[in-house]
Amino acid sequence: MTEADSPTWRVPPRWVLLVAVLSIVAAEVGGGSMARFKVELTRWARDGMLARPGVHGLVGVRDVDERILDEALVKFDAGLRLFHMHAEGMGLVIIATAMVAATVIRHDAARRAIIALLTTGGAGYPLGYLLWSALIPSYGLERSKAIAEWLVWVPFGTATIVALWCLVGFVALRMIRPKS
Amino acid sequence: MTRRNGRAEPARIFLRPPSVLAVLTALATITVTVTSPAAAHHVGSYVPRDNAVTTNFKQVKFSVQAKKYDVALQLFDAGALRAEMRAHAAALPPGLEDGTRAALTAGDGPEVERRLMIFFAALSRDLALEADRQIARPEATAEVRAATGRKFLEAIWRYYNLVDFAVATRDNKTSVAVRLAFDEAESYVKPAAGGAAPPDPAGIREPLQRIAQALSTLIDASSPSSTTPRRNS
Repeated sequence: MTEADSPTWRVPPRWVLLVAVLSIVAAEVGGGSMARFKVELTRWARDGMLARPGVHGLVGVRDVDERILDEALVKFDAGLRLFHMHAEGMGLVIIATAMVAATVIRHDAARRAIIALLTTGGAGYPLGYLLWSALIPSYGLERSKAIAEWLVWVPFGTATIVALWCLVGFVALRMIRPKS
Repeated sequence: MTRRNGRAEPARIFLRPPSVLAVLTALATITVTVTSPAAAHHVGSYVPRDNAVTTNFKQVKFSVQAKKYDVALQLFDAGALRAEMRAHAAALPPGLEDGTRAALTAGDGPEVERRLMIFFAALSRDLALEADRQIARPEATAEVRAATGRKFLEAIWRYYNLVDFAVATRDNKTSVAVRLAFDEAESYVKPAAGGAAPPDPAGIREPLQRIAQALSTLIDASSPSSTTPRRNS
């Protein structure tokens, strides 16, 4: 068996690794910033919500409004945390799955397409959480969630899911027909 | 680096050859894991927390139950409960704050409970009156009325629920009346099928007024000047 034919792991393209590493770096920077600027971020979000009482359904009674503001601030913080968690995790998922795709898929166009989908989907999806958090003070919980869903979560999430299932299919095909 | 099929040969890592079955298992795991949150767009859940007043109430209440009156007095003096009593002094029976403090100093648990019950009943009553006022606004749409009603009911219940047991042991008719009115009020602002606005959210005004009336009667009957509790069987 020659070196070229031996079944070894293949490194995915450099741009894929770069995107994955940048995603992990962004996650770490985001996590660090959340802790370092927690008070400033909370104050910014709270001020933004108080400036738009109609958007958040504030009624001008502290005993009622504090519960609404508290929920929005908890979700704002949750969005930042979920960005940190997903960006970190998806960076690793990009590296792992792109490596499998580079190794298993022999058809050039299919391999490139799947790696591109895995990378863009994996790197883009976590940004939805960041967008959601950033929009909460201006658009409220539900509207900001809908915007993030249609702009980021649905397209990028779908790209990742489609690519992963295709990859599963290729690996299964490889099991059935090892020489394909 | 060799070329095959006209494309650059990708870099290789000479590790143990991958088992296709292991790779497939790992991929299936990743696929299922990634698919689940992507489909649900998991955005966390929110559990309402105590505010400063309800937290301080619980601290004082548990200290009194443990007969640690010195601790309860410290918590009352430094906490949000006393500050809130002062802020609402105009709407409360006269001497409520001083009387609560005196009862804590004297180690009189039932009297502390009675005065705190009056305080939270007054907070709940004021919220019910404010809710009625806001819902009565002619410019409010059905959706706004329903949303406002739901928010106020939540705030009313958060306070009233703390003292419902104390109310029931002293005046069970009022306790039942408030809870029935609360249930009725909720039915007027509950979203209709398909998430549509409820058909008659303005109907909540009547049960809100009943809540306010029942609590006003309770406060008057239980205020420091009144000594005879209304216990109904």
